[in-house]
Amino acid sequence: MNALRIIFDGIVKRNPTFVLILGMCPTLGTTSSAMTGMSMGLATLFVLMCSNMAISAIKNIVPDKVRIPVYIVVIASFVTILQMLMQAYVPALYASLGIFIPLIVVNCILLGRAEAFASKNTVFASLCDGLGVGVGFTLALTLLGAVRELLGTGAVFGLQLYSADFGALLFVLAPGAFIVLGLLIALYNRLYSHA
Amino acid sequence: MLEYIAIIFSAILVNNIVFSQFLGICPFIGVSKNLESAFGMGMAVTFVMAVATAVTWLLQHYVLEPFGLVYVQTISFILVIAVLVQMLEIMMKKVSPSLYAALGVFLPLITTNCAVLGVAIIVAQKNFGFLYSVVYAVATAVGFALALTIFAGIRTQLALADVPRSMRGVPIALIVAGILAMAFMGFSGIKIA
Amino acid sequence: MKSTLLTMTAGLCGIALVAGAALAGVNILTEEPIAEAQASARRQAIAEVLPQFDNNPADEAFEQDGLTLFPAKMSGTDVGMAVETYSDNGFSGRFTILAGFDTEGRLTGYRVLSHAETPGLGARMSDWFSESGTSHDLIGHTTPFGVRADGGDIDAITGATITSRAFMEALNKAAEACANSTTDR
Repeated sequence: MNALRIIFDGIVKRNPTFVLILGMCPTLGTTSSAMTGMSMGLATLFVLMCSNMAISAIKNIVPDKVRIPVYIVVIASFVTILQMLMQAYVPALYASLGIFIPLIVVNCILLGRAEAFASKNTVFASLCDGLGVGVGFTLALTLLGAVRELLGTGAVFGLQLYSADFGALLFVLAPGAFIVLGLLIALYNRLYSHA
Repeated sequence: MLEYIAIIFSAILVNNIVFSQFLGICPFIGVSKNLESAFGMGMAVTFVMAVATAVTWLLQHYVLEPFGLVYVQTISFILVIAVLVQMLEIMMKKVSPSLYAALGVFLPLITTNCAVLGVAIIVAQKNFGFLYSVVYAVATAVGFALALTIFAGIRTQLALADVPRSMRGVPIALIVAGILAMAFMGFSGIKIA
Repeated sequence: MKSTLLTMTAGLCGIALVAGAALAGVNILTEEPIAEAQASARRQAIAEVLPQFDNNPADEAFEQDGLTLFPAKMSGTDVGMAVETYSDNGFSGRFTILAGFDTEGRLTGYRVLSHAETPGLGARMSDWFSESGTSHDLIGHTTPFGVRADGGDIDAITGATITSRAFMEALNKAAEACANSTTDR
């Protein structure tokens, strides 16, 4: 029950994209299609779950004053492991996400969750938190990618829904990323805002 | 010479780091509420990016590559940048308190500015020469400062506008950034040399 | 935990050691699959742009005029050449393509390896120049390659003349390197 609560909160209440407005660079940079957006989300999810667990496990043996560098090393290690695994087994995907994979290191979501949650909670709770926030991030990226792909090329996940000739190319290009994300956040505010 | 002019022009306008490469978006959205702090952040980033790129270039070419350690690139670069930012902060406090007063508050934020790590990695991947890398880094950072300053100017005006409630804050800022990105697209395809 | 000099040093060194060991371990495990993945991606690209061959062109690769050439052979005789070529004059900088030529210098196929062209415009080069039955189908075409705007006979991609022109430049460069390699040897 409690674990479900944490996961659900991560997806909706603490959604990194729509509420916390964190990790904007990959959010905008990798969502020109639903597929790349989802892959980026899953890659971040993997690192977030691993780093949350590891940091929670070592929280009692890390001196306070050096905890941030230690967290960064932990996160960077998992990112590097992910880089190597992706290069070995999904090289095409690795090439299409490019520089945004190593840049997971500086995604504020990871350090943010380490500091705000994993350093204060049990390993299992941290795992759930990583899962929730990561899934929230993945869903947001997939949604953004799907909307941009649909408006820009008339397809979702490569499935052609209407002719690409009616697509507005703008949405696949850089400006479309900003505009669609702005509108999606506004929509989220309209639906969930308690103010 | 022409080669350097071309890379400067391209890094500032054509391939602007914020509008066409999507790096450094967090400070772009976060520190753009007023002109003064936007300008300060821009300067601080320029400074750190130049130094960080120079140091990581040396690290890449004299340590990681000769010893076959390229796989620890990400982790070593981020540590170097973090240490560098700390050192700059301490040195600035001692040497030039006035500069520290102006830029100091932005320094800790820069460690997690993905533009700094991003440029260091791009330079390593593209195998630029040392001087070329540093020039590229400074030009990219100037492009960042330019984007940030223009955006802050617009946002101060935007604060006075009557925006629908659910669009207030970040959503409308993102849409404005989208329109700015469209304007910057006008530079694409322009070539020197 | 309380921060004393001892615990801080121990903590940092400890984490650095563990992280270093973990990365070195994963590196050893993935080194071979990574090399294998890269080699197979290259093999696949070469097979795509050339007619049937039975040697391993990547093993016989050589440099000519600054480009990398992959000779393809069928039971010992040359059947064609794949050339990794590039242009720096794309709309958004350099792109690289792998172009295949038969022994007569006819283009047998091409594949875009990396590019940063605009989606929907310049990026259409990935299939534009091999759409069969059109006046921009380059399969079987020989050098010189030129777009109509420059007096050639090839239709440029609609709205992406710069990219098309750069594409022709890359092909001409490849064809020339290919021709030079046979006369030089």
